[in-house]
Order: sequence, then C-alpha cells, then structure tokens
Amino acid sequence: MNTLNFILGASLQPGDFTGFTFFIGSVSMLAATVFFLVQHGQVDKKFKDSMLVAALITGIAAVHYYYMRDQWAEGLGSPTELRYVDWILTVPLMVVEFALLTGVGMRKLFWASVVMLVTGYFGESGVTGMLDAQTWGAISGAAYFYMAYEVGCLSIFGGPSGDVGNALASAKGKIPAAGRMLQWFVLVGWAIYPLGYMMGTDGWYTGLVAGLPLDMDIVYNIGDAINKIGFGMAVWSAARD
Amino acid sequence: MVSTNQSIITSKIIGLIFSLSLIFFDIGDSYSSIIFILVMLTIGIPHGSVDHIIAFLNPESRRFSSRFSFFSVYLALIVVNILIWIFSPFLGLFVFLLVSCYHFGETQVIGYNSTDNKLLNFVIGANILLSLFLNNIFELQTILVDFTFFSSIDLSFFEKIFFLLISVAVLMMSVVYFDIKRKVPLYAELSILYLIFYHTDILTSFSIFFGFSHSLPMLLMEYEEMKEKSFFRFYIKTLPFTLLAVVFGLVLYYFNNNILTTDNLILFVFIIISSLTLPHVFIMKDFVNDK
Repeated sequence: MNTLNFILGASLQPGDFTGFTFFIGSVSMLAATVFFLVQHGQVDKKFKDSMLVAALITGIAAVHYYYMRDQWAEGLGSPTELRYVDWILTVPLMVVEFALLTGVGMRKLFWASVVMLVTGYFGESGVTGMLDAQTWGAISGAAYFYMAYEVGCLSIFGGPSGDVGNALASAKGKIPAAGRMLQWFVLVGWAIYPLGYMMGTDGWYTGLVAGLPLDMDIVYNIGDAINKIGFGMAVWSAARD
Repeated sequence: MVSTNQSIITSKIIGLIFSLSLIFFDIGDSYSSIIFILVMLTIGIPHGSVDHIIAFLNPESRRFSSRFSFFSVYLALIVVNILIWIFSPFLGLFVFLLVSCYHFGETQVIGYNSTDNKLLNFVIGANILLSLFLNNIFELQTILVDFTFFSSIDLSFFEKIFFLLISVAVLMMSVVYFDIKRKVPLYAELSILYLIFYHTDILTSFSIFFGFSHSLPMLLMEYEEMKEKSFFRFYIKTLPFTLLAVVFGLVLYYFNNNILTTDNLILFVFIIISSLTLPHVFIMKDFVNDK
C-alpha cells in the first residue's frame, strides 16, 4: 500500500466514514467509466454517443472525487468548490442524454440548466451583491422544475409533459422504460441538490433544514454516485436493446 | 475521412492520458515551462514546419505560382505581424486573438462538422480561448501586465469557479445555436478541455490544448496527406523549419532592444508564436477545406 501512497496522497483515518464515501465515490465512478467505455463498443451505432457521454460524466466525476477525497483526508474540510466544478461540467452532460435519446429539446434543456447553475451559484456565493439567497434559489429551483416538466417527470403521476417527455414516451424499444428511470433520477435523485443549497444558505427554510440529521457530504457522495452511475446505467439499458 | 478521424482520435486520447497523468500525479505548475517547451518543439512548431510543402499539395486550392511567391508572402506576413506588435501591442494582441480563434476553431470542428461554416469555426475557437483565459484569468493578468486596462481590473471578488461557470454557459449557448452534425461529441470534448483548463496553469493548459488537441491531429493529417513512407521520414522533413523557427525566436530575443517586451518571457514567446501563426493560418485554411 505504501508504494501507492504517491498516487493516493493523504491517507484516510480509521473510522472516517465521510472520507470513505469520497473514496467509494471515486473508485465507483472510475469503474463505471471503464464499464461504459467497454460497452461503447458493444451497443448500436445510434447509442454510441450516449454511452460516450455516460462515460464522460462518470470520468469527470471520478477525477473530482479523487481530488475531493484528498482534500478531505488532508483535513481541509468539505470540498464545496470541487463539487461545483464537477456539477458545472457534468449536469449539462446529463441533460444532453435526454436530447441524445430523443433528438429533441437540447436548446430548452441547455438554457434551463444554464439558468439553474448560474443563479444557484449567484445565490450561494453572493457574488452579485443583488437579491438574497432564497430569491436566487427560487429562480434556480424554477429552472430545475421546468427541466423536470420538460423531460416528463410529472407524467409519472399522470401530469403534463414537455416535448422531451413526449418524445421519450413515444420512442421505440427500451427507450420509454429507460426514459422513465431517467425521469425518476431527475425528480428524486436531483432533489438532493436544492436540499444542499438550502442547508448552505439563509432563507425562510433555515429553521426547517438546519435540524435535519444529515451530513451533506455523505448525502452528496451517495446521491452523486447513484445519479451519475444510475443515469448511465439507464441509458445503457436502452442501448442494450 | 476514416483515417483522418482516427488520427484525430488517437492524438486526442494521447493528450487526455497525458493531461490526466498531470492531474492525478499533481505535479503542480513547477514543470509547466518544460512541458511547454517540449510540446512546442516536438509537436507545436513541427505541425507548421511543412507549410511550404502543404501549400503545393492540393492543386485545387493552390494559391502560389512558385516557391518564391510562397516564401515572399509567408515571410512578409511574419514581418508585418512583428511590426504590428512593435507599434501597437494592443492591435498585435487583437490580430493574434482574431486569427487564432478562427484557426483553432477550424481544426477543432474537423470530425464533428464540415469546416465550411466560417462563423462556427470562429465561435468554437473563441470559446476555447475564452475558457483558457477565463479559467486562468489571474495568471493572465500577470502576463498581460503591460495592458493596464486589463491587468488593473480588480477580480479578487470573484472565485475561480465563477469563470468556469461563465465559460461553460457561453459554450452551451454557442453550441445549441449552430447546426452541427455531431453536436454532443464536440460539446463533450470541449468539456474535457475546460476541465483541464480549470485544473492546470495557463502554460500547461495551452500546451495540452495546442499540442494534443490542435497540433498533433494536424501533424498526423499532414503525414497522411503527404503520403510519406514512414512517419519518421515525414518528421525529419519538419525539422529544418522547426530549427529555423527556434533560431528566429532566439535572434528576435537577442536583438529586441526593448522594442518588444524584455521582462515578460511568456508574452515574448506568444509574440513569436503569433508571428508564426499568421501565415500558417492561411495555408491551413486551404488544407482543411475538404476535411
């Protein structure tokens, strides 16, 4: 193990469960990347870009989880900046998966994710000096809910759906089933991100979320792994058809 | 077309492995100068060192009647560029950025779209340079210290991640408004580049992009186009003008007499690169026309 220390950097302390989830996040993302790259050669031509994007999402996350684990192990605290770098690069790529599967909606989804990310950052950093965190959060949340509507998350409960959701439902093969999985990921899996935002900023929600018995790093680490790897697995299940 | 794509993919995978190694082994920016020099000498400059052969390969896009006219125009453009830098550094920088945006974008879209859409070429190149500069903006302010209108802007209020966010947002908006055949893979590749730009210093970022995403694919395409028996024989042909370019840089540095910047080696090197780039861009424009 000592010979590998030059790669791994700082060592995790025994009993450091949070640090362990960073480590698990890093290696599971790396394993998923290898899996998606291998599967890239096995799937039909029309799904190759989807598999490549799935590999890229987990690959980028693997790099950042490696960094995050190191930062955590060195006692530098919660790696918020690295998390945001990871999300800024991977969230648009996850959005792209919908456009790849359906061939529609890329413009709308890209715009919505730009609004979601930029306003979310403005709220959390306070860099603009304008508006408060909860207002920026509301704008960011509205963009998220628009995306959820557009990809058909509300149709899970018989509600209306945007063009992407309709295209997913009417597609051939395993795409509708995979699309349903992706919709669940967006609706439930992505909900950890606004929760984390509320825990990190002040607003009407401060009293509500502060008392939650959650270590946000653990929630994010597990949530990220499920979202990113699960997202890719859903696409792979459609591509296997 | 298939072999062209293979060349591009091969060189970009090499670049990716190299970049990930730098990130994982966390060598910091201590070796960025060495990486820059190595990449420039082995890949960067050689990819432009066969311009005099490339210019006469394709009869349909041939612009020069003789070697003499080629070298006259080529050298004249280099001299003009240096004069612009001497008399108006701002204009020199502006011309370099304008030309580079187009040139980098044009070669970047190969494999994803035809190079016919000039505006797309320019916008993609502009996105790459914007991201390179934004993600290393504090370093850039040090390099461009002579351009006080830029270096005196107080950016300390902004975190580095803000600039990554801006560059990704601009890229997303750019990509969706163009009709690109393979939109998503292009966006995906640029995402990887942005990751590298964020995590490495400006010199390493530029070396990786310029070496592996721009120069090496071009070098391999030139090798295929020239139909040399082996890559080694082709590479030997790049050496004379590579050496000449190095000598040109050294002579200019020795005799610069404070006309160009003396205390800012990085800026000086970029002036040399811009001088060599200007004529090269016109040759490459014809070369990639049918790619």
